[in-house]
Amino acid sequence: MRNLFSLNKIYIFSEKTLTFIKSVFPFLLVLGLTFALVLSPPDYLQGDVVRIMYVHVPSAWIALGTFSTLTILSIVNFIFKIKILEIVNLCIAPIGLLFTCLAIITGSIWAEPTWGTWWAWDARLTSMIVLMFFYAMIIYSQKHIKPKNRSLMFTSLISIIGAINIPIIKYSVEWWNTLHQPASIKITGETSIHSSMLMPLMLMLLIFLLYSALIFLMKYKTEIIKVKRSGVKRL
Amino acid sequence: MIEKLFLMNGYGAYVWASFGIVFISCLILFIRTYNKLKKYEKNFIKEIQELNKEEKKVLQTRSKIFTQFLKSQKKII
Repeated sequence: MRNLFSLNKIYIFSEKTLTFIKSVFPFLLVLGLTFALVLSPPDYLQGDVVRIMYVHVPSAWIALGTFSTLTILSIVNFIFKIKILEIVNLCIAPIGLLFTCLAIITGSIWAEPTWGTWWAWDARLTSMIVLMFFYAMIIYSQKHIKPKNRSLMFTSLISIIGAINIPIIKYSVEWWNTLHQPASIKITGETSIHSSMLMPLMLMLLIFLLYSALIFLMKYKTEIIKVKRSGVKRL
Repeated sequence: MIEKLFLMNGYGAYVWASFGIVFISCLILFIRTYNKLKKYEKNFIKEIQELNKEEKKVLQTRSKIFTQFLKSQKKII
């Protein structure tokens, strides 16, 4: 298991992946924006304002996915004490915070023309705000709590407690009466979104995922250099 | 056509504001992360240049990352 997370292997893999992402990203970005802003049809009820979905939904998915990853890695790290997972957690938390904030802001902009208000304290919106605070607490404990063991313990504890919020966010639209619509895309059930909108949405999700990978790999390289610099100083 | 794209039947302000905020936020995080990485790489190169040949050899045998880093920074070093 430790060999799988070897610092050397992941660093070499990250170098190659970074080069690949840098080469395909501009092309995919232009393609995704063209579909999202020009080629995809307006909604029969909401009109062109539905285009906000192409940035709002991928942001929310990545925010939730990142937190789930963070929790799983924290649990694994808590049990096996793998240093590389600490570094990975340090790198993905800011990405999660960014996309949580973007999901909240774009959702608020979308809410004004459709619900008639910028903000409502309903279950989905409130649970997303709670998620944002969990991310903020994790980043704070990673940066400001010393020594490292204590920081690691706090980060793991916050992410494990915060994991309770993930199913609350997911099912809030079914458990309570909310302004937010229920999910249109289901992994197990039938998807109620037309393919002409689903395709650009998936394309934008891919772009957001590639962007996240790009930021993660750059942050990861920075952290590895920090570790290696201390090795050079010891010579 | 262009006017229609900007106005989006009266929803242009909402749509463009959303895409604009996402684009600018992502760009800021990218620039900050990129600059930080470049700063650390620059300092690391400086420290490597200060090492003598023996020390460099020791590092190369000890760490694949170091070798990979030297490869990627060939032009600079």
